Amino acid sequence: MRKETKEYNFDWNMWTILENASKTADGFRKEYETLLNYIPNYRNVLDAFVKHGEPGILFLKIIAKYSNDCVRAHIEGRKTAGVTFCFATPVLYAFNIQPVTLEPWSVLGTVVLKRGTSEFLDYCSELGFTETSCSSQRGSLGAYLCDLATKLDFVVYDSPGICDTNANSFAFAASYLDIPFYQLNYPSTLTDERAKEYHHADFKGLISFLEEQTGRKLDMEKLREIMKENKRQDELTCELLDLQRLKPSPMPPIYELMLYGGRFMMNGTKEYTQLLESMVAHTRKKAEAGKAGTTSGNERARGLFCYIDHYTTDGRLWDFLDKRDISHMGSILFNFWQKDSLYAAGKEDEGYNLEDESLEAIIDSLADQMSRMPMVKQIRGPYDAPGMWLDDTLGAINIMKPDFVVYMGTMGCRNTWGMVKPFVRDLEKHGIPTLYIYADSFDDRVQSWEAVADKLEEFLKIRKIIT
Amino acid sequence: MMNEWKEIANTMGNTYLRKWKESGRAAVGYPCTYVPDEVIYAADILPYRLRGTGTTSSSIGDTYFGPVICSFPKCVLQLAGEGRFNFLDGTIIVPGCDSMRRLDECWRKAADDYKGILPGFFHYFGVPHKVTDYSLMWFYEETLKLKEKLEKHFGVTITDKALKGAISVYNESRKLLMQLDKLRVKDEPVINGEDALSIILASTAIPRDEFNKMLRKTLSQLETKKETIKGKKRLMLVGSINDDPEFMKVIEDCGAVIVTDTMCFGSRSYSDLTEEEGDPLFALAKRYLNHAYCPRMFGYYKPRLKNIMDRAKEAKVDGIILQNIRFCDLHGSENGIFERDLEKEGIPCMRMEREYGPLTESGRVKMRIDAFLERIS
Repeated sequence: MRKETKEYNFDWNMWTILENASKTADGFRKEYETLLNYIPNYRNVLDAFVKHGEPGILFLKIIAKYSNDCVRAHIEGRKTAGVTFCFATPVLYAFNIQPVTLEPWSVLGTVVLKRGTSEFLDYCSELGFTETSCSSQRGSLGAYLCDLATKLDFVVYDSPGICDTNANSFAFAASYLDIPFYQLNYPSTLTDERAKEYHHADFKGLISFLEEQTGRKLDMEKLREIMKENKRQDELTCELLDLQRLKPSPMPPIYELMLYGGRFMMNGTKEYTQLLESMVAHTRKKAEAGKAGTTSGNERARGLFCYIDHYTTDGRLWDFLDKRDISHMGSILFNFWQKDSLYAAGKEDEGYNLEDESLEAIIDSLADQMSRMPMVKQIRGPYDAPGMWLDDTLGAINIMKPDFVVYMGTMGCRNTWGMVKPFVRDLEKHGIPTLYIYADSFDDRVQSWEAVADKLEEFLKIRKIIT
Repeated sequence: MMNEWKEIANTMGNTYLRKWKESGRAAVGYPCTYVPDEVIYAADILPYRLRGTGTTSSSIGDTYFGPVICSFPKCVLQLAGEGRFNFLDGTIIVPGCDSMRRLDECWRKAADDYKGILPGFFHYFGVPHKVTDYSLMWFYEETLKLKEKLEKHFGVTITDKALKGAISVYNESRKLLMQLDKLRVKDEPVINGEDALSIILASTAIPRDEFNKMLRKTLSQLETKKETIKGKKRLMLVGSINDDPEFMKVIEDCGAVIVTDTMCFGSRSYSDLTEEEGDPLFALAKRYLNHAYCPRMFGYYKPRLKNIMDRAKEAKVDGIILQNIRFCDLHGSENGIFERDLEKEGIPCMRMEREYGPLTESGRVKMRIDAFLERIS
């Protein structure tokens, strides 16, 4: 690792950047435009948020607050938990624990820093963590392993049974740092009674673990408040989803990132509710005007990202879509499976409903929510089984009516790379032009963004999606 | 006698398997040490552990699996696609890791293109990633489900008596293999790692009662054997699956002897016995979920490290080879921490990434082993 990289803590450095970014729109326009010249590496992505007005600025403030909370957790007497993106955070916030969610940190580093998180990715390998592991954790984990970030007090994760490489990152972190850990482990089925009982028993174990780590009992009143907020967030997400499916889709492409990014970091907080309210209001306005969410207000094509997005430096995927008037119709990260969501219509047993009548009901419904998180639901069993990846993707295609589907992931994703070829073949059999891209969403060195963009462009042209 | 072990280890259709099939009995493939093969054996079906032995191409494996997948399931799929597992009447798939888990879909999808390669019995056997009271119950139910499905598909009844009989036979196997271990860890071993692996491999490819008979005979020969292995560096092998005696040979030809291991085609498969009292199915579930942990069981680093250190101490090893198949992050990453902690304890380690399948890189392996042996001389 370069000496310069060690001069500042990664999270502290990111916090100062994000804190300043969140304030850029507070001044005059001219000040803002002048400032952009000083941040050449992320000026476009900053502007992509700022140009969307209130929702974009609120998102910048959310990530600034989140990073501030992570950096200041110990100063404020809060424990920090290393978690994964598909772990529902309300239960942690109820214990006043700060979730340090590795993947969003990796995204932020990749998007904002000139060289992305390459040095932290490589540092993990220097320690013995395989270079073939998932970059989504490695990108920020390297900073935590080399003591260039706030110390993690313990690790909680919910990927065993879902994604080995994800689970392995957290297991590695816990072993390497010699800190306590708890895993939620998922069976390959979702809706049968056995799986439900397993989810609930496992979640109760999590609560006992958190009580042990914090030395306090679960604060039911606080949890109820958070769940109330979470319920409101679920309603707003469903509304956004409903608006998104309109033709043209009035939801700007970058809202997708704001929606899931906010959720992974701040699910159950008032700030995230405020962001969603603003996103819904702005999307509704566009819908009323019959405009697409793209900058031009036009929609030439609709793309569904069946797995994750690409987080190259300066967030150029969204710019790529926006410039070509392509609406982003969601990714696996968008699907939270509330019972009331469009996705769950006719598949209610695959959805969750937050209940707060009794302690038992609260815990069970939180366990249900956790077991339906993005990825946790879809890739736990055979991809072509009911309720799994193919089924969900076809369901999303039916609702969102995309013109094409793209698979992009990380080189470490054994689970999806293990079957993406037959999966793509199945989607094509259903008449959906589908492209899988051999790139890494968190590491441009595997394939540069320019090469990815060329492939996308070529695919859109050859399949006559955009002529 | 050793030639017979080698014949079994190096060929897919060994004599015992052929005779078994000729007698009209079925064989069921399984991929991992988390399958309680006693249940299969109690049904008078031959449990046959899936391997990729003899693969000469990966064209079929690469068609269904993506590019960044471990070569072991690809080789298994390759052989399946070529029809070389057609002697199997059934196959069990286990979520040993994500790549092995996806063998389920890839094999099924390949069967759309290569007719007749999907056995009539194709079963997914769920294994939790942790040990708790509820995960044990889940695993017990999975074992029960496996038993019922085998009974239904093959029209047999698996009685408690048969299960207890199978447990007894398998426990005997394990005790015999532990005896073999004792001969390997002697100051002057009487068997090298290559031959020991051939014997272990045979335990997964022939009926266990036959195996026990053969091993008893081999052990009595080894116990009186005068010729011992002297002057070699004593190594331990740790990490990803290895079912290739030739790989051991490459290492041992450099001037070493592999005296112990923590491999799944190795000590992990026999180091724990099954309780012979009480409900046999529950006893099996308990043994298989709790047996020496593979890194697929997340959060058990310390017991795994202790297992390595105990075995290394018992075998008085000069060094440890921590190897993993490329894209096996579970073993690969843990090897990184093992290296740190074992070196701290003064045990020299060497990490090595390799491919499963034909030994295309034996030159590189040899060079690395030579360098390691030079380091620990």
